[in-house]
Amino acid sequence: MQRELKKSSCDTIAPSVENTDRRNFLKELIASAIALAVQPVHAAQNQPSIRFLRPPGSLPEKEFASQCIHCGQCSAVCPNRCIRYFGLENGFASMDTPYIIPREKACILCMKCGDICPSGAIQPIKRALEPIISKVRMGKAVVDRQLCLSWQGKTCGVCYRACPLADVAIRVGLLEQPHVLDKCVGCGLCERSCIQLPQAIRIIPNYG
Amino acid sequence: MVFAMLIVLPYIYVYQTFLESHAYDLLADSEKQLYDIMETLTQPFVGSDPENELDAIKGTTWSGNFFGFMISDPLAGLGQFAAGLSMHQPLLLAILIPVLLTLLFGRFYCGWICPAIFLYELNTNIRMMLKRMGLRVGSKGISLNLKYYVLALGVLLSGFFGTVFFASIYPPAIIGRELFYAIALGGFSSGLVFFILTLLFDLLVARRGFCRYLCPGGALYSLLGRYRVLRIQRIVAECNDCAKCNAVCELGLDPLNDGFGQECNNCTACIAICPTDGLEFKFQIKDIAAQGPGHLGKKYLYPSAEDQAAQVE
Repeated sequence: MQRELKKSSCDTIAPSVENTDRRNFLKELIASAIALAVQPVHAAQNQPSIRFLRPPGSLPEKEFASQCIHCGQCSAVCPNRCIRYFGLENGFASMDTPYIIPREKACILCMKCGDICPSGAIQPIKRALEPIISKVRMGKAVVDRQLCLSWQGKTCGVCYRACPLADVAIRVGLLEQPHVLDKCVGCGLCERSCIQLPQAIRIIPNYG
Repeated sequence: MVFAMLIVLPYIYVYQTFLESHAYDLLADSEKQLYDIMETLTQPFVGSDPENELDAIKGTTWSGNFFGFMISDPLAGLGQFAAGLSMHQPLLLAILIPVLLTLLFGRFYCGWICPAIFLYELNTNIRMMLKRMGLRVGSKGISLNLKYYVLALGVLLSGFFGTVFFASIYPPAIIGRELFYAIALGGFSSGLVFFILTLLFDLLVARRGFCRYLCPGGALYSLLGRYRVLRIQRIVAECNDCAKCNAVCELGLDPLNDGFGQECNNCTACIAICPTDGLEFKFQIKDIAAQGPGHLGKKYLYPSAEDQAAQVE
């Protein structure tokens, strides 16, 4: 009796029978899931909307996506707690892959993530000056001279003092004006420490 | 056990953060509490350099690092191979141990290690409660072969997207990752939504439906464990055809008619419930063919002359 009542009340709202209703719902669910899954891939390929870095030693972006098994160990060993994980904001292919936003927290080049990575997406690199300079390609720092305090005549030099490869990757001239050299690996510590807002020195990521 | 470990590991991560900051006085009260608890928990295992020594165990059941040994799920290796048509050699070594164990013991991972099982079994209890309350829970029988198609589809999609697709649809990987996100990093990702959908699937469509019909990892382990050495077998002389084993089997198999097949995960639930001890472990490569109704049952139905005489007395 109760069941019949329920059904009739259902009929007044939606004229279709329960069974086809469910089928339609499932159809729509699957269709929207496919639409969601396919659309961001193209979005990510066309325009990387977020400026992020991969951990040091990462493969070029496309290989990285196919090698990474999304295990989450790189963040678990990172002593600086700078490695975070994507949700769906950068597309489906990079879901749960590691990234570093240098302005929030930059890499200290400890190279532990490469040692623990089981998938080879982050290559192991020895923690020494020579291998780091030759193999790490996270990006390259670029100075905005309109924003930089030193270039505007007020002596600052914070980025030079933050750089772990000072005089190798960055050099200061008159009034501590920063000049980025070719050997910059893009760890992002200069961007992290820049006292200007918005930051005058930024890492342009190298996705390979 | 595994589930508890997966909860403790992110807390160790947080504890390491506090340790490295060397500023106990600056922590909030709740953080101090956590620090003290973790200190007493980890004290017996670490020496003079806890913040580095605690790095010894990292990762999840999807892929972990135990004292320098890397162990990964075979599905991760398969996914990487499908996505990039190449496999990193350390990963190949890492999946070797699970693959060998599976070849010997079958789909043991599903019953003994998978951290999602804990939640799925709780979900089965909820299901029984709902049933007792008189609500309708689905118990549809779908083909057990469906999961092999899911596995194939996952391989295809991994190749199509160029990413290890399995990581986002495989509950053990999701559980480990989401627990780490929730405790250590804050927040959750879309994997959790998928996992809740699988729980609903179990409630609304079939009991333990995801493990039975959809799990790609279960499919891979089943294929690997097809010729496993250790299997459960029915002793036909001891069986009385009560069918309790069929009712209790979480994976929807058919022990009563010797239908274990490649999907049995040696969970021993049927052995535990059998009232006549008619099931046992055997070292054998193949199942024995269906042996017909159990002999004890026959005894009740068609008692021989001696038995009848014994009953009369």
